[in-house]
Amino acid sequence: MFRDMTFNDVSRLDALDDARADFVMDEDTFRAFYDRTARGVWAYLARVTGDRQLADDLLQETFYRFLRAAGTYESETHRRNSLYRIATNLARDARRRSVIRAALSLAGDDIERAPSLDDAGATERNADFTRAMSRLKPRDRAMLWLAYAEGASHSEIADVLGLRPGSLKPMLSRARRRLAVLLGRAPERNRS
Amino acid sequence: MKPVECEFEAEVLAAVLQSRWPRRVDASLRTHVASCAICSDVAAIAGAVDDAREETRTQAVLPDSGRVWWVAQMRVRREAAKTAGRPITAVQVIALACAVGLLGACFGATSTWFQSALGRMVSSLAALDIRAWLPAATALVAGHAALIVGMAAVILLVPAAVWLAVRE
Repeated sequence: MFRDMTFNDVSRLDALDDARADFVMDEDTFRAFYDRTARGVWAYLARVTGDRQLADDLLQETFYRFLRAAGTYESETHRRNSLYRIATNLARDARRRSVIRAALSLAGDDIERAPSLDDAGATERNADFTRAMSRLKPRDRAMLWLAYAEGASHSEIADVLGLRPGSLKPMLSRARRRLAVLLGRAPERNRS
Repeated sequence: MKPVECEFEAEVLAAVLQSRWPRRVDASLRTHVASCAICSDVAAIAGAVDDAREETRTQAVLPDSGRVWWVAQMRVRREAAKTAGRPITAVQVIALACAVGLLGACFGATSTWFQSALGRMVSSLAALDIRAWLPAATALVAGHAALIVGMAAVILLVPAAVWLAVRE
């Protein structure tokens, strides 16, 4: 097999073997993990970016980077947090790129007004929620989604978003208040 | 300082997610939520987030896990091949430049014809009167402007095109 190969080809094949070994899990483990988590990650990305197409792209990239990351995970929760951290970073990068693109094109179309989830088949309540979420900062969206849709603990949210656990509680409280006001379920002024 | 958490927060959240809020909870919890800004915000948003979660998850059209695995494998192979190829290309370019330089140096040092030709060229350039040549050069440029522009474009564009093709 090696007869017609140059040294370059052989070294390339070695590199390919090394690359294959770089994956953090085997195919069966990955597929099971993907089936458990992909839907949740997609929903998170769709809600944080406000763009379904982008969520499709970022989902694939998230799992690819997760596979390539040479991490060791103590538990399923740790592994899942790592996955969400990658998704968060990708969503953040995508938002930065989209802001730069908007600035260059002078379109003024920032991430807050990026194509939102398709409301046609959704309930009015869900449409209101989508509108309210789109008016929050991306970090607040991520925080609220992780806390109330994914049921993540404060320390997990802080880990995923790269925040200090101590500063998370007041931030989450403010984000929750803003969303309640935007949903029209709380007065504008703080009551406490 | 405003409080940012409440001991009943988890209880309110559980009640909302289990569809017990507000009718099937203790009256004392309802009374507390009415007076607690934190718990009333939790009660206000938790149900909406949970509904949105269900709605959003049903909208997901996910690629098959086997396909995601396969695409990742292909990407790793492609990137590995590119990474492996990159240093080899750089080494080859440096080797070629060294070889050309060495060849030129050997030729220049050993060839008496080259050295005498170089000497003649330097002395004739030193004796050259640019002012005498300037009108003739101007006339040449004016007469063949289109041709000169075309040649200049080719000289600039061809290397750029080759570079782009090689890069791809």
